[in-house]
Amino acid sequence: VRCQRYPPLRALQASATLRRVSDEHKKEPLTSSSQQHFDSPPAGHQPEQEPQGPRPSYTGQGGQESEDYESEEQLQHRILTAALEFVPEHGWTAEAIAEGAKTLGLSVAAAGMFHSDGSELILHFVSECNTKLSKLLEKEQKLVQLGEAEKKPIDEFLRHAVEARLRMLIPYIETWPQALSVLLLPRNIPSSLNLLTSMIDDIWHYAGDQSTDFNWYTRRAVLTGIYNTTELVMMQDSSPDFEDTWRFLENRVADAMAMSNTASQVQSTGEAVVQGLMGAAVTVSNTETSRAVR
Amino acid sequence: VRLCRCRCRTLLFRPAGRLRARRDLAAGPEMHFGFQTVTEEERREKIYQVFETVAKKYDVMNDSMTLGIHRVWKDILMHKMNPSPGTLLLDVAGGTGDIAFRFLNYVRSVRERQLQRKLKHHQNLSWQEIFESYQKDKFNSLGDSQVVICDINREMLKVGKQKAQHLGYSEGLSWVLGNAEELPFDNDKFDIYTIAFGIRNVTRIDLALQEAYRVLKPGGRFLCLEFSHVSNPLLSRLYDLYSFQVIPVLGEVIAGDWKSYQYLVESIRRFPPQEELKAMIEDAGFFKVDYENLNFGIVAIHSGFKL
Repeated sequence: VRCQRYPPLRALQASATLRRVSDEHKKEPLTSSSQQHFDSPPAGHQPEQEPQGPRPSYTGQGGQESEDYESEEQLQHRILTAALEFVPEHGWTAEAIAEGAKTLGLSVAAAGMFHSDGSELILHFVSECNTKLSKLLEKEQKLVQLGEAEKKPIDEFLRHAVEARLRMLIPYIETWPQALSVLLLPRNIPSSLNLLTSMIDDIWHYAGDQSTDFNWYTRRAVLTGIYNTTELVMMQDSSPDFEDTWRFLENRVADAMAMSNTASQVQSTGEAVVQGLMGAAVTVSNTETSRAVR
Repeated sequence: VRLCRCRCRTLLFRPAGRLRARRDLAAGPEMHFGFQTVTEEERREKIYQVFETVAKKYDVMNDSMTLGIHRVWKDILMHKMNPSPGTLLLDVAGGTGDIAFRFLNYVRSVRERQLQRKLKHHQNLSWQEIFESYQKDKFNSLGDSQVVICDINREMLKVGKQKAQHLGYSEGLSWVLGNAEELPFDNDKFDIYTIAFGIRNVTRIDLALQEAYRVLKPGGRFLCLEFSHVSNPLLSRLYDLYSFQVIPVLGEVIAGDWKSYQYLVESIRRFPPQEELKAMIEDAGFFKVDYENLNFGIVAIHSGFKL
């Protein structure tokens, strides 16, 4: 948490946008003394709310600090969300962010808060998609638990989850290759990798994976491979409603299932072969000993 | 005029200064003018005179003192600003217009790229439509961007106007005589406020920062390019050596004015370091305040947003 100095004068100075944000955002966690102010309409009562709302007490410096700190991040989130609708026209760039800021009533200079190549916009979008996917899978899991829907077999579940996630890219499919290349910049790899692995983890969790051995890694690696290759196929797919992509996905998932069967078959065959060899070795040694004895 | 050999980086007052201060107590609070102590009024007057004298040779001196590196610093500031067409810039203490001209160039090239991209998308329009859209955009090569140059010193503005005429900058430019501590503009007007190598000469920095906050739109950006504190000890000594031994001599040789450049070097030493300036900017109400050191702290760019 960044330490800011909050002399008494600062609370009285009107912060143009952030207070408005904290007033409009009724879900924000605040001290109870300022809760009641949220019931009144924000615009007209703003001057009264300002001195009272964010200045609960000087002992409550920590609360006041974290409230403003959250507001900045939330404002950035709002700008990025507003910027998404300008992406098809301007691409994943600082220009789209500037247009987004304009729609929120801010100056275009607010785009200077973000990096000039639009990385934050892309990461924000990916993280939003992942959250949407989690919510969708959670909802379906609840339905299954309540008995209103059937539990899908694993391959169908994986197909459904990956398809749902990739469909979220469809509105931005023209500019997505640009976004992928930005995500692969060395500066962005930690964050993008993080988002990717947590999404794959989520999917496996809702698929019911409870493995505790090396399987955990194999499954995630396989699904990551499937997801990435399907995404790339989608980039240059021109069939109606991306049929080719979904067929490709189906084949890859089937391959993965077959491979896991093969793997267990190979293992059991391997075991059988080893046992056979051991038996042969024992027989040979017995024969030797009996011959020696004779 | 004697060469100041004092290498002190701390705020020590010389005894002579203290005597003078006691006499002038009635005239106002003590302030520093280089390593001297003066009242606020005296300081404003002295600084005005300094820039009046150096105005004509300002650019030449900049080039010779910094070996041309000041151009790179200003270019870096422009890249950090990354203005988009349609931005309204206020360049305070912008005297000879360096930042303003760079801004116009940058915005023009961004606009050209935008237009090219638009034309590429117009692949399936008829020739008539393409011609019309090109005509419409051709007269808007700056994309409605504008820069207002504000300076307290008439001489500096005069030199700036002459330069603009000479270099061919005619549109998108306005020249205003004004004091950074009391700007002659309305609230919430500008997208970006810059002050390059000027805030050091402002007598009440806090007032200037408050004015900056006032005239910026919500979401607007404050950028300050200024000489700052070098923390590396070896570099610091070399820098001091260069500053106190070479620069005043250059001033005398090129501009015929030793005292002004002595003031320049001393005022750099008296300016608050990076962290302190950052705190002052935060006090004025800016958010996301940050600074970037250029050349190990010889120069620093501070940035803040009005959120």
